[in-house]
Amino acid sequence: MKRRHTRPAPLAGVLATLALLAACGAGDDRSDEDGGGGVSEVGVSEESVTVGAHFPLTGVAAPGYSEIPTGAQAYFDYVNAQGGVHGRQIEYLVKDDGYNPTNTNTVTSELVLQDEIFAMVGGLGTPTHSAVVDFLNEEGVPDLFVSSGSLQWGDDVEDKPYTFGWQPDYEIEGKIIGQYVAENLPDAKVGLFLQDDDFGEDAEKGVRQYLEDQVVGVERYTSGNTDVGPQIAGLQASGADLVLSFNTPSYTALSQLVSLKLGYDPQWFYSNVGSDPDLVGSLLSEFSEGAVEGSASSLDGVLTTEYIPGIDQAEDPWVQLWQKVWDEHGTEGELTNYRVYGMSHAYAFVQALQAAGEELTRDGLVEALEEVGQDLDGPQLAPFRFTADSHMGISGLRVVEIKDGGAADPLTPVLVSDIGDAPIEEDTSGQADDAPPEGGVPE
Amino acid sequence: MQQLVNTALSGLTLGMVYAAFALALVMIWRSTRVVNFAQAPMAMVTTFVALAVIDAGHSYWLGFGLALLSGLVLGAVVERVVIRPVEGKPEINAVILTLGLFIVLHALASVVFGNRYRSFPAPFGVRGVEVGDTTLGITGFGIFSIAAVLVVMALLVLLFRVTDLGLRMRAAAYHQEVARLLGVRVGRMLTLGWALASVVGSLAGLLIAGGSLVHPGFMDSIVVFGFVAAVLGGLDSPVGAVVGGLLLGLSLSFVSGYVGSQLVALTALAILMLVLTLRPGGLFSQPAQRRV
Repeated sequence: MKRRHTRPAPLAGVLATLALLAACGAGDDRSDEDGGGGVSEVGVSEESVTVGAHFPLTGVAAPGYSEIPTGAQAYFDYVNAQGGVHGRQIEYLVKDDGYNPTNTNTVTSELVLQDEIFAMVGGLGTPTHSAVVDFLNEEGVPDLFVSSGSLQWGDDVEDKPYTFGWQPDYEIEGKIIGQYVAENLPDAKVGLFLQDDDFGEDAEKGVRQYLEDQVVGVERYTSGNTDVGPQIAGLQASGADLVLSFNTPSYTALSQLVSLKLGYDPQWFYSNVGSDPDLVGSLLSEFSEGAVEGSASSLDGVLTTEYIPGIDQAEDPWVQLWQKVWDEHGTEGELTNYRVYGMSHAYAFVQALQAAGEELTRDGLVEALEEVGQDLDGPQLAPFRFTADSHMGISGLRVVEIKDGGAADPLTPVLVSDIGDAPIEEDTSGQADDAPPEGGVPE
Repeated sequence: MQQLVNTALSGLTLGMVYAAFALALVMIWRSTRVVNFAQAPMAMVTTFVALAVIDAGHSYWLGFGLALLSGLVLGAVVERVVIRPVEGKPEINAVILTLGLFIVLHALASVVFGNRYRSFPAPFGVRGVEVGDTTLGITGFGIFSIAAVLVVMALLVLLFRVTDLGLRMRAAAYHQEVARLLGVRVGRMLTLGWALASVVGSLAGLLIAGGSLVHPGFMDSIVVFGFVAAVLGGLDSPVGAVVGGLLLGLSLSFVSGYVGSQLVALTALAILMLVLTLRPGGLFSQPAQRRV
């Protein structure tokens, strides 16, 4: 997007790198035997490392999601202001794909071939990222922390050795939600409202492990078709009194709106993706006659899940760090949960860069993450699952109820699990109670 | 049963919106013989005008009125500035120009109004109408939409069938030279046709937006369905446009509710192909004797 203006032409990049190599060779402190040492990798110089990402900055998925890169940018700026990682400044290029896989393809090619990024960090969306994941792996570009909970980012390391997930996958989220409902609401008649792609499919797989007998109705909507009236009418007709929804934020607002229209009032349980109370509240609040009041209060009583602390927890040391970062380096607007999300994965990327050492290479980054991934402390409530055999992201979450003004009230401890038949257990890592290091940059 | 009723009502409201959009296309087709692809972004722009007025603290109806007025102006300006220079050249020139306008308006709206989703108020509330114990899946605003579209349809029929002005507009559209010889101010008629069509389009925009979310692309899916509705009705007939819209709205709603929402676009295509195969001129076409 706008950053294109400042993007160095590839030739200039090569010249700069050559100049640097010459400088090194001229007898600085470095004395690598075979020329170049750590600076021969694409997108890496002595002074900087260039990474890229694709996000929907426009279109149906843009509300909320377009804020994620602003958060990541603010955190990278914060780290850069403190000297960067191993002396390298992180340059972050964001391109708009409008949540359209065709565009994702184009902008990813640009990032990899023209801008010569070292790694992709946080590219968003299941359908969008699916379109480029093979390309990135063929090119050997590290593809870290995909902003999507689809299983495919981490369940087959041989097929996609360079791709890593980040957020808890939809299947374990479905499992934990399913178990919660089976244990606490055993009499509920459950309806499922699903996005008609991997998102809904993975989640349904998880939910059905625990709720097979309780499900009375399943409705799927197609992203892009904003008329969900027929689907909600179907759920109403099925008699569901608890609706588990796996949808994007705009569809949370739409489903609430249509339910008002139909006079349908079940207990709603939105998965993490679609449940940001501030965003949904602001979308709903402007409708007339006070039918939907207040900003965030319209989601009061709704159940959802949480895997990183959000802005409602102002006391949390991580949120305090994010607030400080945003105050110092943020662009216009307030700190939001989406910006927190962006900062959180930016934090993990900085950890990965540190772990990869001074001699930064693409393969080195991947190896480092496989080695130390499970031990990385961070804002996430449960540890990552990164090993040589699994690139799945955060291993767990907790069920919360949204209360007055959007505060999340925990209903369960942090529960961890894995895909397939893995049991659900209480987390013992203590990740939920840790705090960031003093300077706010991982040590 | 309730699901059946609600799905039908949902389709009915949606169908009326398609109909409103189709009416605008029919209007411009009848008065200028051009298919206006920029109809949707033009309506989007005027809808944002209404939103700006409402956000500034004024009443919904002031925004509504100003949107229609700005539609009138926008339509006239587009005709004078963009379409007039290619008048008399092959019609495809004008059509391609409207496609270009589509892109330009989209981009401008993104710059001026921003790209985020915003909610658009509805004047009669967002809760369904309650009958006894059950809530019907139609809002007061939905009923208003249906009434508004029927009124517009009736007005258009009257305009073209009964009034002298309508006759002149049709004459100007069918054969400019002859119309000129007969004393019709062809230029003015074309401008008027665009202006009125743009007003109808603005109305469609407002009806779709009410009680829903708007962003610069919010009319894009309506473009496709509105075109299908207009073509179903034969592009020439206001009544045909409304029937086409209803037919499409109801079919799509039932397909979405009972078969699967992923088949909605495919169904629209299937209906279009079926109708064009069986009645190439549309459901309400008249014999082609007037083709010029």
